Amino acid sequence: MTAWVLGQRALREAWRTPEALVPTLFIPLFFLVVNVGQAGKIFPATSTAFLHGQGYAAFQLPVSLLLAASFGTAALFLVEDIEGGYFDKLRSAPIPRTSIVLGRLIAEGAKGLLISVAIVLLGMVFGITIASGVLGFVLLVLMTALWSVVFVGFMQLIALKTRSAAATNSGGLVFFPLLFLTPNFVPRELLTRPMEVAASINPVTYVMEGLRSLILEDLEWSAILPAFAVVGVTGALMLVLNVRLINRYD
Amino acid sequence: MDVAVEAEALVKHYRSRAGVVKAVRGVDLQVRSGEIFGFLGPNGAGKSTMIRMLTTLLSITSGTARVAGVDVAREPDAARRAMGVALQEAGLDPRQTGRETLILQARLFGMSAHDAAARTEELLELVELEEAADRRVKGYSGGMKRRLDLATALVHQPEVLFLDEPTTGLDPASRLTVWDEVRRINQLGTTVFLTTQYLEEADALCERLAIIDDGQIVRDGTPAALKAELRERQGLTTDPSLDDVFLDATGRTRSRAAGDVQEVTA
Repeated sequence: MTAWVLGQRALREAWRTPEALVPTLFIPLFFLVVNVGQAGKIFPATSTAFLHGQGYAAFQLPVSLLLAASFGTAALFLVEDIEGGYFDKLRSAPIPRTSIVLGRLIAEGAKGLLISVAIVLLGMVFGITIASGVLGFVLLVLMTALWSVVFVGFMQLIALKTRSAAATNSGGLVFFPLLFLTPNFVPRELLTRPMEVAASINPVTYVMEGLRSLILEDLEWSAILPAFAVVGVTGALMLVLNVRLINRYD
Repeated sequence: MDVAVEAEALVKHYRSRAGVVKAVRGVDLQVRSGEIFGFLGPNGAGKSTMIRMLTTLLSITSGTARVAGVDVAREPDAARRAMGVALQEAGLDPRQTGRETLILQARLFGMSAHDAAARTEELLELVELEEAADRRVKGYSGGMKRRLDLATALVHQPEVLFLDEPTTGLDPASRLTVWDEVRRINQLGTTVFLTTQYLEEADALCERLAIIDDGQIVRDGTPAALKAELRERQGLTTDPSLDDVFLDATGRTRSRAAGDVQEVTA
């Protein structure tokens, strides 16, 4: 219950800071336009098998969704709480330490849902279709939202450990190499061998492939389930590490 | 005698790059129920470390601490229910309104939405923030923030209120307002444990006080008794001030204290 109360507070905080929300929407859309503009002609919809009849924008949409889910602004708000003393106010209340972490994660999940719905709907306006139907649409935005929870969990670890906005911000940059060590421009089988190996050991690859299958194909569980497994395992790991860190916070 | 706050051989050691820092070195302390107790000391003497251990925010290296009879290390949640805490930085979320801040705090102490709203109204009236209740905290003045912070510490009607430098950075008028609030809260039966750098504040508010220096208590008693002891010991012809007691207790002189760099919080 306290986690939900704190989640509501974090949602109010996000709503009242639109300047932090706008880049979360704008930058992924910018990358979508740029990537499609650069490589769209190389992969025509009519003759590119891996596009399943759609335009290249449909193939690129998961990259934008993952980017949108990887801003982790909630962790910067956490640093503000720590620096401003509000975090100590929360720690001096008789509430489970886990709820302090969970409150922000709940809010990030809700925010992730809204942003991913907005991006997917915008994509649909420009001709992208969700081949897996309504259930696929739900799974698509749910997977993106859950990934945003995982990512903010990771950022919160840095925030709790360093208590520094600069270090937390820098920590977020770790995601960029992971995003590009994926089959983000072509499917995995078309990558060079070293790149394919790197992509195969990168968990983000499976989330991207899961998202992509929901957009381009009918419900392809062999791609969807590994994606949810990655989200579930990394999410549980982040939760455990966050709780461990907050319990030992001195 | 009812004891509201008790520390026995309380020790806090930190590990730093330079080695082990002994911030608090075996403090024994008793605060009686219903009194306003002042905890004084120079910067870095261990005041904030003490208050953070007593309020469960910092682990204890050794020794015991009890608030309202509850061991803060063994039963932290029970201790938290018995105490209110307002730390040096007014711990507030600038993006929430005053009303939202108080309602949230009340909910964290287990109140229903209805009870939290009712308690919020009482507290807004107590700290005279009714008109500003629906404005965001970032627009509050320093004094208003401090009063709101005090109110958040009172939502659950604690037995003991810990105030860490409650008037640092406030203008003289706001300082007097906070003093009035502290007295009013105390008259309602709450024990107040406050740290301060302002000796006139301790003199005006506190029934008893202790001075900590280098992690150890070097004086404790009523302000009058401490002054009388110094007068007698030094054979003074006039009553010394609390400043004189403080300087004597911490081994400082007026010229050295005047040369110290003071941290100023805006």
